[in-house]
Amino acid sequence: MNYQDIQSGEKKHRRVRRKHADVKGLSITSLLDVLTIILVFLIKNVSMEAVKVSELPDMTYPTTITVEKLAEKAEVTPVKMYLDKILLGNESLYFGTPQDLKGDEDKREKIQQYLNYEYNSIVKDETKEPCLIVQADSNLPCDYITEMVRLGTATGYTNIYFATLEAPDWLKAYNPAATQ
Amino acid sequence: MAVYRPSEGRQQKSQTAPQEPNLVPIMNLFVTIIPFLLLLIVVSQVALVALNFSQAAGGGGQGGPGAGGEEVKKIEIHLMAREHSSGLFPGMEVRIPDNPAVRIPVINGFYDFNSLNNTLVDIKSRFTNTSDITVLVHPEVLYDTLIRTIDLCKQNGFTNVQYTAPKAVYYY
Repeated sequence: MNYQDIQSGEKKHRRVRRKHADVKGLSITSLLDVLTIILVFLIKNVSMEAVKVSELPDMTYPTTITVEKLAEKAEVTPVKMYLDKILLGNESLYFGTPQDLKGDEDKREKIQQYLNYEYNSIVKDETKEPCLIVQADSNLPCDYITEMVRLGTATGYTNIYFATLEAPDWLKAYNPAATQ
Repeated sequence: MAVYRPSEGRQQKSQTAPQEPNLVPIMNLFVTIIPFLLLLIVVSQVALVALNFSQAAGGGGQGGPGAGGEEVKKIEIHLMAREHSSGLFPGMEVRIPDNPAVRIPVINGFYDFNSLNNTLVDIKSRFTNTSDITVLVHPEVLYDTLIRTIDLCKQNGFTNVQYTAPKAVYYY
């Protein structure tokens, strides 16, 4: 039956489809159950403090066997010390180079001011314990680390953490005699 | 006053079947939140080495231990530069009270952490009640060396590690 036949009213027969029952919607209740369980699990495990001390991709960390946990009430002030720059706080604010710690009084003063500001804002809440986390490149001379620790302790930070990567077998693998 | 009428129960049967609640909005919410939470999960979590710089714990930073009052004898690990500089012995030196210092020279330009570990094991067997140790680091020493030394101290039962530097020099 073509269009012209219909136009001329010469209908031969009309195809009538059988009426089917409406297809029921897919039940997503079980999916919802699974998602609820996952959601609860994720919310319990996600720690905002852990995000602040996550591994930085462009930094070489020292390795340790020791793994210590952050204090329960710890409120973290991260300090990222690269070979060529120092970034402070969760916002990773640029505060100069490690060499500035020893050679530029103004920048040293600014770092001190920033740490003071962070420390005082944490201390306001008595339930929180201020902690300084030093994330430094393993090839950085200790002179700069010492200086940053000195600034931290002068500010009032008594708990200072050093970020490392866990390597339980580093001592077994360490063989200076075989290295030229 | 409400009156119980059994006929009401029969009338309810004629009503339409209860519809399933519309779960689409809550599904939308879940589908948004779950990827966000998955993004927040830190896959490679960094480890931490803690040092306590409170006065009670002995502090840290600059200067010799026991400022003021009676000087307390402590086990010290001196980390010197790997090369001969300022007339200092290249390597590590472990100073034990009332005992001769143990010198651990560098091997092929690398610090000998295996010997340091053996020395610490030996010290711990002799001073079982001691948990204090001081790591004195010279400016040229790399951060990696400091952390490995602190790590070995903690592994050998010296939980109260104090970190000091000989002196501060500023160039401005």
